[in-house]
Amino acid sequence: MNEFLTQEKSIYLQISEMLENDILRDILLEEERVPSTNELAKLYSINPATAAKGINILVDSGILYKKRGIGMFVTSGAKDMIKAKRKADFYDNYIVTLLREADALGISKKELADMIVKENPKNEYK
Amino acid sequence: MNTNRSTNMVLECKHITKKYKNESVLKDINLTLESGKIYGLIGRNGAGKTTLLSILSAQNPATEGTVTLDGKEVWENQDVLDNICFSRELNPSQGTGSIAGLRVKEYLRIASIYYPNWDQAMADHLVKEFDLDIKKRMSKLSKGMLSMVTIIVALASKSQYTFLDEPVAGLDVFMRDKFYKLLIEEYSETGRTFIVSTHIIDEASMVLEDIIIISKGELLMRANTEDLLARTFHVSGKSEDVEGAVAGLSVYREETIGRSKGVTVILKENQQINRNYDIDIQPVSLQNVFLALCDDSKEK
Repeated sequence: MNEFLTQEKSIYLQISEMLENDILRDILLEEERVPSTNELAKLYSINPATAAKGINILVDSGILYKKRGIGMFVTSGAKDMIKAKRKADFYDNYIVTLLREADALGISKKELADMIVKENPKNEYK
Repeated sequence: MNTNRSTNMVLECKHITKKYKNESVLKDINLTLESGKIYGLIGRNGAGKTTLLSILSAQNPATEGTVTLDGKEVWENQDVLDNICFSRELNPSQGTGSIAGLRVKEYLRIASIYYPNWDQAMADHLVKEFDLDIKKRMSKLSKGMLSMVTIIVALASKSQYTFLDEPVAGLDVFMRDKFYKLLIEEYSETGRTFIVSTHIIDEASMVLEDIIIISKGELLMRANTEDLLARTFHVSGKSEDVEGAVAGLSVYREETIGRSKGVTVILKENQQINRNYDIDIQPVSLQNVFLALCDDSKEK
């Protein structure tokens, strides 16, 4: 929760991603309360409406749920949900840009594959 | 957000025009400001920001047009004005006029009488937060210290509609950070409505829910900050590629060097950049949106 915000991306998306990162890294545990909209707003000096928007994305996707009068909590199974979602985005976010840059530099498919294998001695991605 | 607030007031200005002799300072400004938001008022020096705030708070009469709060005229209406605080910018160069000889303590005391919902405990707390010497005379304060006084009056007034004119001018980066945190804290707790004018745009952009941009006395843009930033981009690449990609879009700040070109585009609903061209697309900061909109270098 203590990353810096950048101007490169919508603030509410950064807020929801930071919460996701914290869940993936066990900084926030499942069934644990997450910081409130106002706490996040004050921590990052952002408008509470923006913080609420970031939290609401996670509520809509079922990663957080609301306990009336208490606050927002991490859903059981949230970690797996985040992983599944990010896997689905992986192609668009990483592979497409990787291939685009490789193409611009004239790196062949074979060279690219070799690089990936070399980077992983255990040949996990062979 | 802030659904627990009981007030749903609306501050409305219709066809506001202000002329000083033959010079039009404000031209037909129409704005509807719902309560419970933090608004940013942005404009270049002399754009008319202070004049607009002074008219909204009935400290200055409009040449034409009306300002109403919940349908009631603001002008010479004390019941309505009890809900509005315009904490003016104070400048050392002006010698701060009639208040120059006052001590900070006395100035705050006058404010406490003037604003019916004044919160003395909050004022005392803020004086400590800012480490302000209230025995000093107003004329002896630096610009930054005068800004602190402006902020204290605004926050402690507890007015439903509170306008701050350049509250961070002269404040160092720590004090600016402190101000934004105090503002967000007060806003979160009370849902009061704030209009904040500032030249330090990017720093404030994350705090401002809506922004109002005025230029040469005219309303140029009123938008939700997040939404505006989400549809504004900088497009760059080879000139002909950029031109192809942004054809038909609202293009600002064209810059060319050699074969390369960079432009800012603000997309309207259902518009998009043509990504079939080999171009780079980057998000832009609010300051860059402002520069794009208020760039008059092309006007010749």
